[in-house]
Amino acid sequence: MEPTPWDPEGVTVVLDPNGQLVGARPSNVDTKQLYKLLVAARCLDLKLGRAGLPMWASAAGEEAALVSTALVSGEHDWIYPGFRDVAVALARGLKLDAIVSGLFAGDELGPGRIASASHRIAPPTDALGMHLALASGRAHAQKLRGNDGVTFALFGEGLSTTGAFHESTMLASALALPLVMVCRSQLWPDGAPAEAGTVGDSVGERAKAAGLWVRRVDGADALGTHAAIEAAADRARQGRGPSMVEVVVTQMHRDPPAHRDPVERLRRHLDQTGAWTQTLQDVIEAEVRGSLDRALETVTQPTEASA
Amino acid sequence: MNVLQHLANVLAELLRADERRVVLGEDVADGTMLGLTKAACEDPQLAAQLLSTPLCPTVLPAHAAGLAAEGFRPIAVCPEASALLDSLAAVREASKLGWRHGTPSPVVFIAPFGPGFGLGGGSTEGPASILARVPGLRVVVISNPAEAGAVLRAAAEGWAGDEPTVLLLPRNLALAPVPDPVEALARPFAAPRRVREGEAATVFTWGACLPLVQAAVERSGQDARIVDVECLAPLDRATLAEEAKATGKIVIAHEGPRHCGVGSELAALFADDAILTLDAPVLRITGDDGPLTASAEAKALPDLEALTSAITHVATY
Repeated sequence: MEPTPWDPEGVTVVLDPNGQLVGARPSNVDTKQLYKLLVAARCLDLKLGRAGLPMWASAAGEEAALVSTALVSGEHDWIYPGFRDVAVALARGLKLDAIVSGLFAGDELGPGRIASASHRIAPPTDALGMHLALASGRAHAQKLRGNDGVTFALFGEGLSTTGAFHESTMLASALALPLVMVCRSQLWPDGAPAEAGTVGDSVGERAKAAGLWVRRVDGADALGTHAAIEAAADRARQGRGPSMVEVVVTQMHRDPPAHRDPVERLRRHLDQTGAWTQTLQDVIEAEVRGSLDRALETVTQPTEASA
Repeated sequence: MNVLQHLANVLAELLRADERRVVLGEDVADGTMLGLTKAACEDPQLAAQLLSTPLCPTVLPAHAAGLAAEGFRPIAVCPEASALLDSLAAVREASKLGWRHGTPSPVVFIAPFGPGFGLGGGSTEGPASILARVPGLRVVVISNPAEAGAVLRAAAEGWAGDEPTVLLLPRNLALAPVPDPVEALARPFAAPRRVREGEAATVFTWGACLPLVQAAVERSGQDARIVDVECLAPLDRATLAEEAKATGKIVIAHEGPRHCGVGSELAALFADDAILTLDAPVLRITGDDGPLTASAEAKALPDLEALTSAITHVATY
């Protein structure tokens, strides 16, 4: 398949657009489980998009980065997600009804946001990019404690122009902190506009200049994304310092070609290996949609008091 | 020994007493600009608790809160209180972790402020009232040189709770001699307290203004009580209102601008909670609204003459 303007440059590829394995298969990943989580995350995103949460932003197309971060993280690691990163909670084992009631309750965080101390998912911050600094502090503590804990911070490339991003990156670099920064960079098939903040370079290049270990991967390639985040986490655990995985993502609402969809690309791969059937797809979707509908019914049904 | 040297000794003792305590800042391994980690630097045992960081004025308080979330008790030494305004977004996030997410954030910031070093400009702009407006942040002003170390100890030990706490040190007091330091506070920390008894009027003050108020009361010859507010946020509204009602005649005196100073909030508090017992107009005697040049920075403190006549005015009203 010829590369299109929708295909990112300078990325390490494991799954090609047809779902063909062209790089080393990551050894520690259960491909079917990864696929199930991608599908679940997409279903959740679509449902929530229709549920009328205020200021809700879709993460459709970004699932590989979110799910892989959660899968790679260990029980004692911490994840600092951004606002739209609900899929992290799903992949880290929070039950759908807990996620949905958390998103709608809005008692502590406000509607549409999720955090869980028991699952070590930190709350998002109001100030742009400040969760990166809370994450660097957490990673600093893990380093001082001398355990092999790692902190993951998720963000989008838009934050890479903020002072909080640059200062947190410098702190992590200067202090060699076990911090894995996972940056979702939007793909701009017609070239990035000035307000995107990246003018001819990438966030990864900037992080490299700051002294971080950097890998740039394609967010449509879930296996490549998983492998890079895992390598970054392994380095951090070995005391080899901070890193950034720049995941180039395509937002689904912009109607890209099908191979830009991480769910579809992994489906093609599973199909080729004989692991995907329409029945499997139906079962996964029915399971997620069933629990989701039940959970949504509970939170959106008017209570007796308000009826 | 002056206040800064005394604080440096207490800081070293605090680090020795609890290894979860760490000091954060760009120059902490080098004594800091104010010399506050000098004593700690002389003890090789404490090296691991002195966490030097690159300059990161925007995020440092949030980084400290991340350390605190994992069980550390960071102490950040700020070159001046306006540094906390540079990092206001991070201070706000650090202050939210407790009340919003149930994650205690026992970070202590030591920050000099106000006139005293001839700096003018930002040092006279009264950062206290901006910080006092941050939900979940405790703002305490040191007013008694002999107690400075004991106040730091109480803040670091969390006597008033594990909220992030800013200890504001008036520059005017920073070099005051401390021949006989108080080891531990024999009173509650971060609470208003009467430092002079009197029935004719109540003067509310804090920080470097306290000695001025004491002098003004003596000069006025009036039987005025003096209340050191000490903690500007959260305010102990009930105790402050009681002190106001006790005499019904009020002067509020503080360093820095009058406009939106903490004195404005106190005046409003007395209007809300004590208006029916007030027998005179509430007078605020403050520093100049500024901006002030370096040569004019002394105007950031109230004028002794104005203070004296205000006290006489309300006491004899």
